[in-house]
Amino acid sequence: MWQKTYAWLDERLGLGDLYKNLLDRPEPHGNWWNTLGSASLFLFIIQVVTGIFLTVYYTPSPDHAYDSIQYIMNEVAFGWLIRGIHHWAASLMVLVVFVHMLRVFYTASYKYPRELTWLVGIGLLLLTIGMGFTGYLLPWHQMAYWATTVGTQIAGSVPFAGEFILQALRGGPDLSALTLQRFFSAHIWMLPALLALLVGVHLYLIIKHGESHFPDKED
Amino acid sequence: MNEETKKQINQKYERKLEHGERFWPDSIFKDVIVALGIFLVLILLATFVGVHDAPKADPSDTSYVPRPEWYFLFLFKFLALYGQIPVVGKIEWLATVLIPGIFMGLLTLLPFIDGSPRRYYAKRTMPIGIMSIMVLGIVLLTFLADVPTVLADGSSLLGTLQTIAGIVIPVIAYALFIFYAYKTKENAVRLTIITALISGVLMIVFTGAALALHQPPAVETAEVPHTLADQIVAGQELYSLYCVECHGDDGATTVIEGVQGLEGLEIMAINGKDVLYTLNDASLVEVINYGRPDAGMNPFGKAYNPEGLTRSQMDYIVTFMRYIWDDRFEAPEIKPLFPELAEGEVPSYEVHIQPIVKRYCISCHRPGKDSNEYYMDTYANILNSGENAGKNVIAGDMNSYLLQTIQGTPILDASGAEIIGVMPPNGSLKPDVVDALVRWIMAGMPETEAEADALSAPTPAP
Repeated sequence: MWQKTYAWLDERLGLGDLYKNLLDRPEPHGNWWNTLGSASLFLFIIQVVTGIFLTVYYTPSPDHAYDSIQYIMNEVAFGWLIRGIHHWAASLMVLVVFVHMLRVFYTASYKYPRELTWLVGIGLLLLTIGMGFTGYLLPWHQMAYWATTVGTQIAGSVPFAGEFILQALRGGPDLSALTLQRFFSAHIWMLPALLALLVGVHLYLIIKHGESHFPDKED
Repeated sequence: MNEETKKQINQKYERKLEHGERFWPDSIFKDVIVALGIFLVLILLATFVGVHDAPKADPSDTSYVPRPEWYFLFLFKFLALYGQIPVVGKIEWLATVLIPGIFMGLLTLLPFIDGSPRRYYAKRTMPIGIMSIMVLGIVLLTFLADVPTVLADGSSLLGTLQTIAGIVIPVIAYALFIFYAYKTKENAVRLTIITALISGVLMIVFTGAALALHQPPAVETAEVPHTLADQIVAGQELYSLYCVECHGDDGATTVIEGVQGLEGLEIMAINGKDVLYTLNDASLVEVINYGRPDAGMNPFGKAYNPEGLTRSQMDYIVTFMRYIWDDRFEAPEIKPLFPELAEGEVPSYEVHIQPIVKRYCISCHRPGKDSNEYYMDTYANILNSGENAGKNVIAGDMNSYLLQTIQGTPILDASGAEIIGVMPPNGSLKPDVVDALVRWIMAGMPETEAEADALSAPTPAP
């Protein structure tokens, strides 16, 4: 029965080809440093899943954002766990992505033929930091409010375009309901969509070129 | 890069693949182990460390010291140190835009800047040296985040130490790495390693010195009430401090008594349906925040009142009003103000009297209020402060002013004029509260629980 089902699915989905091309690949001898990329991906998936759960109760308005998070933490079943994981995975993701970048740098894995993988990777690093920055405002507590005030001020110190960037980030001269709405939108739609897209490109490039080997004296 | 080199690289990779492993299951196995480890760590962190909490955002509280997420701390520190440099330090965008922009640009374009096919570590001493020192600098600046650059007394010693550790030594090291890479071809590896080690150690030493010299101020951590019961209690305490003076401890006062400037003013009882059914939470917060100038109510929001309340605090007061006075809301179980007293038990200041005083008295009896300078904010002040010091509380004496006034007897002077009215001015204390105060003073005002226990009559055997 199972074999019949598998054969039926394989005919239509090409499971065997998928297995051959995605999983059954040869790789150079690796070590634990090679797991940082997949660890970043795992953390991204955790963030997507916990983040989706959080949007069920979170309200992006200055009147309700703080209270809705208090509600998640105290009233919703396992809300504290979901938010706790989202909070800590965010920190860990920045750390893991950064160390992943360092590993690639030290082993010079960014060189031919993997230059584009590096370029996309830098985009992923920046997007991860952007996720951290936009996500930090959402609880709408004192720390978030004032850190974002300063953070957007720094972005506003760019010569000539600064004023425009500041107003675009804040949706006006000051932090307001608009800022929260904007950061929320960026945090749950714009940046994750870009991130997912770039993750896809990054993974395609890795499968295409294979994992790089650790350099030896001849390299 | 010419075709020949590319072919060599690809051939080398093919050879490595032949002696390598399989993606499935070898690599996936390690990936899964790491993922499981991460998941476990996350659950432990979420369960046992939790999420640091802070009060609700309050745009009027500009005294709040902003603190970004930890991974931005090094940038903040860098900006602060950069501001110390004379002349260029004043051009902010150099540090906020240009320098980070150059670094990110170099990092992004790395494969195109470093186009050589050499990959072995010893052949790339300059980039590896620069990156190592930079990462060390980032880590150290993160640790230094809480150390100020200029002290209150104007001394900039800490700032100098930090600038040396975080900017001067790294810049010298980068310059040396570049110099070695281009000028000392054969010794480059050795020199780079030595320089990196020396500058790394120096950076750590200067950072350690700055950390050792810095005495962190005692951190005031604002406890954020989490459960509904805690929020109600927090609201009640704030209400006792800010509102009882005019509205009374049960909110039922209709004529203000004993408040300078508002004496005799008629107000609305705030514990009934007229207020609680017609105003929602947001409107109640607004009334507290902006006040009702026509009706005599001052604004209590921090933006309008220097001693005022933050957003969170106003929310707690409204929560308290809802759950205690509004009959549509059912309050969760709340701990009583003080533990019930047994027959013959003597109350103590720390367990019984302090919460009573905090709820019923301190709204007026504190510095800045018109209360004959009788302050009840500390144990010592309750015993001895104000114009009638020595008469307010007398051990074992039912004629103590405090005991007379709370039991409905005003204090009169020789000519019969009232010098202290009945306390509290509006309403009266509950019998168990009066009883606790009487027992406390009659037993000689013990401060700690142990002292009170020593004075208590032995519990009669059942």
